[in-house]
Order: sequence, then structure tokens, then C-alpha cells
Amino acid sequence: MTKMTRRAFGVGAGATAASLAAGAPAFAQETTIVVNGSGGALATMITKIFEEPFTKETGIKVKPTAPVSLPKLKAMVESGNVEWDLTELNGDDVVTATKAGWLMPIDYAIIDPDNKLPPIAKQPTAMVRASYSTVMAFRTDKFGKGKAPQSWADFWDVKAFPGPRSLENSPKGNLEFALLADGVSPDKLYPIDVERAFKKLDQLKKHIPVWWTNGAQHVQLLIDGEVSMTSCWNGRITPLKNEGKPVDITFKGGALMLSYLGIPKGARHPKEAMRFMKFRMDPAASAAFVKQVPYPGFVPGMMELLDPAFAATLPTSPENAAVQFEFNSAWWADNIDAVTTRWNEWLLI
Amino acid sequence: MRIRWTKTLLLLAPATALAAILFVYPVFGVLTLTVHDGTSFTAEPVRQIYASQLAIIVLQRTFVTAATVTLICLVMGYPMAYFMAGLTPRRRVMATYLILLPFWISILIRTYTWIILLGREGILNKTLSSLGLTGEPIQLLYTPVAVHVGMVQILLPIVVLTCLTSILDVERDLVKAARSLGATPRQAFWKVVFPLSVSGAATGGIICFILCLGFYVTPTLLGGRTSILIANLIDLQVHKTLKWDLAAVMASALLLATFACLLIYWGLTRKRSEFATGGLAR
Repeated sequence: MTKMTRRAFGVGAGATAASLAAGAPAFAQETTIVVNGSGGALATMITKIFEEPFTKETGIKVKPTAPVSLPKLKAMVESGNVEWDLTELNGDDVVTATKAGWLMPIDYAIIDPDNKLPPIAKQPTAMVRASYSTVMAFRTDKFGKGKAPQSWADFWDVKAFPGPRSLENSPKGNLEFALLADGVSPDKLYPIDVERAFKKLDQLKKHIPVWWTNGAQHVQLLIDGEVSMTSCWNGRITPLKNEGKPVDITFKGGALMLSYLGIPKGARHPKEAMRFMKFRMDPAASAAFVKQVPYPGFVPGMMELLDPAFAATLPTSPENAAVQFEFNSAWWADNIDAVTTRWNEWLLI
Repeated sequence: MRIRWTKTLLLLAPATALAAILFVYPVFGVLTLTVHDGTSFTAEPVRQIYASQLAIIVLQRTFVTAATVTLICLVMGYPMAYFMAGLTPRRRVMATYLILLPFWISILIRTYTWIILLGREGILNKTLSSLGLTGEPIQLLYTPVAVHVGMVQILLPIVVLTCLTSILDVERDLVKAARSLGATPRQAFWKVVFPLSVSGAATGGIICFILCLGFYVTPTLLGGRTSILIANLIDLQVHKTLKWDLAAVMASALLLATFACLLIYWGLTRKRSEFATGGLAR
């Protein structure tokens, strides 16, 4: 018996060695870029729609990693051991990372030679990859027939809409929502009146048993009935609604946010990374992507490829954009330290 | 004699080297970060932590939670171990397997299970409301109660097993001797078995207590805003606010406080003969 096993092992090991030899790179010049993203189902989609066709076209291999993490970027750049060639970043991360000098300037002559990208998408150290919204989601079966919250004032109204709620464990967005609930008009949100926002949040504090920390969690809380309303990312609820679950979102009072791609300083393949960024702006591939994940961004020529009824459900559609406010990353990057300290003390003591 | 020393050194070398590279060196790095900002010495991080009450309150909460959980584990675990010690060896092995069974399931899964059990629409609340005992669902999940329940469930087997070892170490003949000299079963337990096994229970308690201090997953998943522990706060400073110096101060404070607790424990027990072996087998 032992002998058999050993022989079997020997054969297996031999085969492995052979396959390793066969799989060894045929070209000495082959490059692999490491692209860091948010992982999960999203990464599978990105691999299928962007990375594999890109490798086919250019011969450059793409290795996806996760998750998006500013501390990791900091550690990589500061230690000089930069593993990523490209990484996703959110708006205020871009501001922080740029100030700290962790990002490389981007050469838009490579990415956008015909100058078709709108200026808002082209930051000196990062390019807009996607746009998404933090909006209000709610259970349609908890408040009686035909009754659904339509504003952050409703979210704060625990008499008309009873039941526990959830918000993200972060001041970002929540201070704005509190001010909207308190009657501040969307164009007067910034600079944020922090004092007033916290005062408004005080009123709701005891109705929030749990403060979510990631996208999977807010979906779970809503589906399990732990909360009747929560703030959420727009892309997460639509699939559940289509499955027939009693949930819905409203874009009213939502925060329109941007997600970026940037190249860490000291990245080994910046040129190849920029070629991949160009590929991410391909209208047909982007349209295929947005049909799966409703985070559109500003890819020129993409909207024209989409069904108008579907395009209307995207966060950047004219009707939806009109009822939201533009999240101000610059204000947050300047104030994040002080506000976060206050937030943690307010929340955790 | 010399050969014996060389042998000892050789045997200890791998473990020592591993501990030095993977434990002592990084811990030293963290300790340095608390008082040194990369260019010069500074008291700024310590001052900031002291100025904000948050870290101190959470640290206090962590120690109180650890003490409560340890107490619950000991009160539940010791009698269970005593019961197991009285079983026939065959049955005891079965019982030990049953105790060890949860270790085969990841802490994450065990913790998620409590979400299903304790939720507003979970099994417990559904049962209570279908029996007509409650109108509104009771908020159990995301409270300190849920955190305690989750932590006790994870740590109880460790306490039971350490208690069991020390109870089994007690010579049965001593109990027989006590009984033959006229002690009631209760007296035999309190005068013989308990004093001889209490050090094992204390060791189990200390292990449990120290494990509690570093708990992260359970308070994250089952706790609300006021049940986060120091590990969660350290994580927040590392991953969210990027204040690694503050995280280092909190980690060092935790380390110091833990050492202080061990020192107090040692001071209280070192003169007492029942703790002479530190709960390890005689």
C-alpha cells in the first residue's frame, strides 16, 4: 500500500514538474502587470471583460489583486517594494495619496490620444474609473402599502417610518445626509457645518443598532430584517430587487461619488499600466461591464450603446444626477483627520 | 555536563530564532513607533491618546469584557470538567471529542451562526414572538450580550480542557482517604479536589483572559458601536485613519496592561502552595 502511494506520488510529482516546464514563459520579454481592485464578483467581471481581451490584444498579462487599501499603498511606496502597477482609489484617497506623493503623474497622451475623455475624468495623478452613488435603501414591506421614504428627512423620521436603521461607520456622506435631513439645500452642503451635522445625527443615534463597514453587510442587514432602512451603494440593491426581494432605493439625496485608477510611485510597469487604463476606456467593453455592474464612469461613447431604459437607472443619468449632490472629495481630504477623530469619539464612547 | 548544555541550546535554538524573528523583532518595532517618529523621539502619540478618552475607555471596556467572559467560562467550565472527570475513561474520551468538535469549525462561521440565532428575525426572536412572549423583537444582536455569548462559546472548550487536566491529576486515593476519615462528599470536594485543581482552573482562566484581550472577529460581527474592543480600535487606526503611531501606542498599552495583570496574578499566587506548579502537571 505504502509502495503504491509512493509510486503514485512519484508519477504525480513528475507530471507536475513536466507541466511546470511546459508552462514556463516562451518569451523572455513577457510582462505581467499587477492591478489592484476591490475583489469579489466585481473582479471576476473585470477579468472577463477587460483583462483577458487586453492580454489577447497586447500580450501583457494582468494579475488582479484585492482589496483596495490606502495603508497598503503607503507601506509599498514608503518601503520601496511596490507590488502594484495600478490600483483603484476613492476620491479622497486620491487627494491624500497625491499630497503624500504616493502616486505617479499620468500621461494622458497614452490613455486619451484623441482627447475624448471629459476633463472631470482626467486628474493629474488618477483617472475616473467609475461613478457610483451612496443612496438610501429601504424595505418595501415594513411601512404599510404605498408608503416609502423619499428623503433623508424621512430617514430621520422614526415616527412615520419606525424600525432600526443603519448607516456606514464613517463620517463621509453621513454628515451630508444629516444636513439634508435638517433642511440644508444640496448646493449649500459644503463647507460642511460639522457641528450642526453631529447635532442632527444625535437624534438618530439610538435608532441605529449597527453601523455597516462594507457593501456586503448593508445588503445582509436589509435582507435579514435587522434594519428597515440603510444607506447603501446603488449597485448592490438592484439585483436583489430584480430577484423579487422587498427592497428598493431612491436616488433622492444620494451622494454621487467617483472611483479612480492610479499608478503607485515606483511601480515597475507604468507604461503597460497606462495602456491598460486606455483599454478600460473602451466603449463596447465598458457598456458590457455596466450592464453587469451599474457603475458607469465617463467613458466616451458608452451611453449611446446602452438601452435608454437601462441607462435611466444609472447614477449618472440626467434624472438621477439631478436629485443627488456631488460628493466633495477635496473638502473631505482637508478635514478627514479632525472629523474622523470626532466621529470615532462620538460613535464609540 | 557541557554536552548536556550544548544539547539544550541546540534544542532551544530553532524555537528561539523563530520567536526572535517573527515576534520579538516586530514587537520591538511597534514599541519604537510609540515614542519615535522616524527621525527623532516624540511624546506626541502618547499625548494624543491620553487627550482623547476614546482609547482609554475602550481599553477599560476590553479588560472588563475579558474578566466577565473569563468568569462566565470558569463558572460554566469547571463543573463541566468535574463531571467529565467522573466519567469512565471511554465516555470521557467521547465527551472530550464533543468538547473539541467546535474547534473544527472556523471562528468566523461559529460567529456568523450567532447572527442567525440572535437576529431580529432570527430563531430566538421568532420563537419568543410565536409563543406570544414578546411583541416587538428584542435587540440582542449588536449588543454587549451578543459579544459575551459569542466569546464564551469560543473560549469555553479551552477552559474545560485545562480544568479537566488538573482535576484528573488529583489522586483519587486522596479523596478515598478523606472519605474514610469521615468527610462528606461535599467536604472531600472542597477540602481536597478543589484546592488541588484550582491552579489548573486559574491557568485556564488566565489563558482565556489573555485570548479575550485580543478578540477582534466577534465584536466586529456581533457587537454594536459601544461593544468594540481595543483590537478593533487598533485596526481602525491602522486601516482607516492611517495613524500607525496611535495604533502602536494602543498596542503597547495593551501589552503593558496584560503584563501588569500577569504580574498581579503572580504576586497573588506565588506564596500559595496550590499554585506552585502553575497548573502544569505535577
